[in-house]
Amino acid sequence: MTFLRRQLPLLITLVSGLLFAAQYYVPHPSSELMLTSVTKWLQIIGGFALILGVTSLFHIHAVKIRRKEPGWGYSFILYAGMVGTIVIGLRDGGKETIDGAATAFGWIYTFMMVPLQGTMFAILAFFIASAAYRSFRARSREAAVLLIAAVIVMMGRVPLGEYLIPASGDVTQWILNVLNASVRRAILIGISLGAVALSLKIIFGVERAYLGGGKE
Amino acid sequence: MPFEVILGAWVATGLTLFILTFLYQDNPLFKLAEHLYVGVSVGYAIVKTYDTVVIRLIYEPMVKQGDWSLLIPLAIGALMLTRYAPRAAWMSRIAFAFVVGVGSGLAIPRVISSYILKQIEDTIRPLLTLAADGGATFTYDLLNPASNLNAVVLLVGVVSVLFYFFFSVEHTGPGQAVARTGILFLMVAFGAAFGYTVMARMSLLIGRLTDLIEYAQPQYERATWWLLALTVATLIVFRVRRKGTEPPP
Amino acid sequence: MTFAERMLSIDRRIIFLVIGLCTLIPLLYPVGLAIKVSPEVRSVYDYIESLPEDSVFLLSLDFDPASKPELYPQAVSLLRHAFKKNLRVIGMTLWLPGTGMANEVISRVAREEGKESGKDYVFLGWSPGGSSVIINMGQDLYKAFPTDYNNQPTSELPVLKGVQNLRDVSYVISLAAGTTGIETWYVFGKDKYKFELGGGCTGVIAPGLYPLLRSGQINGLIGGLRGAAEYEVLIGRKGKAVAGMDAQSATHFAIILLVILCNVFYLLIRTSTRAAEQR
Repeated sequence: MTFLRRQLPLLITLVSGLLFAAQYYVPHPSSELMLTSVTKWLQIIGGFALILGVTSLFHIHAVKIRRKEPGWGYSFILYAGMVGTIVIGLRDGGKETIDGAATAFGWIYTFMMVPLQGTMFAILAFFIASAAYRSFRARSREAAVLLIAAVIVMMGRVPLGEYLIPASGDVTQWILNVLNASVRRAILIGISLGAVALSLKIIFGVERAYLGGGKE
Repeated sequence: MPFEVILGAWVATGLTLFILTFLYQDNPLFKLAEHLYVGVSVGYAIVKTYDTVVIRLIYEPMVKQGDWSLLIPLAIGALMLTRYAPRAAWMSRIAFAFVVGVGSGLAIPRVISSYILKQIEDTIRPLLTLAADGGATFTYDLLNPASNLNAVVLLVGVVSVLFYFFFSVEHTGPGQAVARTGILFLMVAFGAAFGYTVMARMSLLIGRLTDLIEYAQPQYERATWWLLALTVATLIVFRVRRKGTEPPP
Repeated sequence: MTFAERMLSIDRRIIFLVIGLCTLIPLLYPVGLAIKVSPEVRSVYDYIESLPEDSVFLLSLDFDPASKPELYPQAVSLLRHAFKKNLRVIGMTLWLPGTGMANEVISRVAREEGKESGKDYVFLGWSPGGSSVIINMGQDLYKAFPTDYNNQPTSELPVLKGVQNLRDVSYVISLAAGTTGIETWYVFGKDKYKFELGGGCTGVIAPGLYPLLRSGQINGLIGGLRGAAEYEVLIGRKGKAVAGMDAQSATHFAIILLVILCNVFYLLIRTSTRAAEQR
């Protein structure tokens, strides 16, 4: 039984990992067919993972309402919104438009979901301004370099900045294409080396945290 | 303008203004909009997932076109859901093992090729360019990112930043100079990132305010004006009621 | 409390008001300053210009409603350009919350340009899996998307004639707001299937994509609302992006001023503290 619980998952990871790493170098039609089929399976399994995610949200708020914890009225609104959207969505077959005309589901998407999500992220503009005013101080030489680069880029990326100081546009382009690109490249190489090392550790069973669930 | 569009404009404007009230103070209007946002988003995700995964990816190919090999991913997906049953949760490990194994295997050669080899290849550019007549020249146009001078700066930047993050070696002597160069490059890049983040956040606000301005037009029955008045009045009522329940000093 | 200390601890709602006004006033009373086009946006434009009629152009709208102000104008301009050049357009998305928006923008712009679904363009919709979808499309487009968003079988659509997989696509552009975006399209797509790849992205992730731009892994990059405005200028159809540029200028200068003021006050406090210590 321990084999099924402990060894089998690690064996599956090892075999599937090595198989698909090797597949990249094997252009034979059967290897390509295997890739096509398995990536199709991953899409279906990925859908199930989504179901996992939304189910837990459902559960948390159902408990809150049942126990009538403080703020359960808001949980009720959340539920009403969720259930209402699901009922209308399933009735409209999951489509926002049918033959070019908007459905009720499409109405909910366009006039509720889009403005709500858009505004939630739009208020960040105010917070970034307030945070910049409170804490963007040149306490050291390095911080001063950061500040000057930020000011140049902010000026160079707007028409008013380029109108007042034409060189700011060119300097911004140089900063982005040379200085910024070199740093980002170094970070990208570093992170990728780490990601490859982690993937190898997972395949060879050194790293097992992803398994989770159940007693060993 | 059709009625449902005007109604939609009013609902959208109202919800936008409710969320914007958070800038003044956390209040019931904001909490209402916030919870509605989560509810509608999750509901939308559930409907789309059901329609795409269950109907289009599983039911139609399997039942209508007879592709029964899809029973395998269906079984693996079902195993994943056993995570919720404490006694059967160990079965979900098999599903996760398969998904993570395949994902890691697919990623390794592709990441090495795209992010490591290709990026290093572009960093090690020739120091001299071949001119049309066969002779070698050193181009130092700062405004052209592909010039030789910029290639040298790029190389210095990549190496010094990579060295800065190499913590297994002490940054002393010449190493310290390299690490400090790396830090300066990093600060410039972070400054550029901050500038771009400001640009992005402001753009999002510009987008929302553009919509609010549009919905203030007569064809939408001046939704923005009426709802702005309603929101401000509601906030005043909340403030008065809160002041009323506070104990006297 | 000194003046500098009082100014630094000012109620943040005053700053909110300043930003709000700096955004609102230029939107109501625009000035219309000239917009210079950057080389990375011009590369995307020039490449689409160079594509012969009937080439296959895939636009992947990998963003959700939160990034609509920056990426929706980019999508509109790119689609207008592609339809003007009579390219065969394939639309899709890798982000679930963006499906409705992606469907709306493609249908609307196609209708305005007089294009027909199935004949001139197709919207494939969304499929879970991100990188798996890209690999699946690279192997066999019809296995990845057996039907389009309107449940029409893709194998029977005239617009997809001769397209077996991603190798038959001339140009792919991913409009991305984060992970599962341009990098995913490169690593799991262009690396093996060798199509040309361009990118459009939000301002937040734009600086991180410059290494790929420099190495030629992507042939162009449209960054944020500014990039969208530049593209609108190039195709000669000014829209929401250009209209937002004056507000962008005002808010940037407001932030620069706030940062300078913050440092001036901080310096004042530091010098007065040092002077007090010396006494």
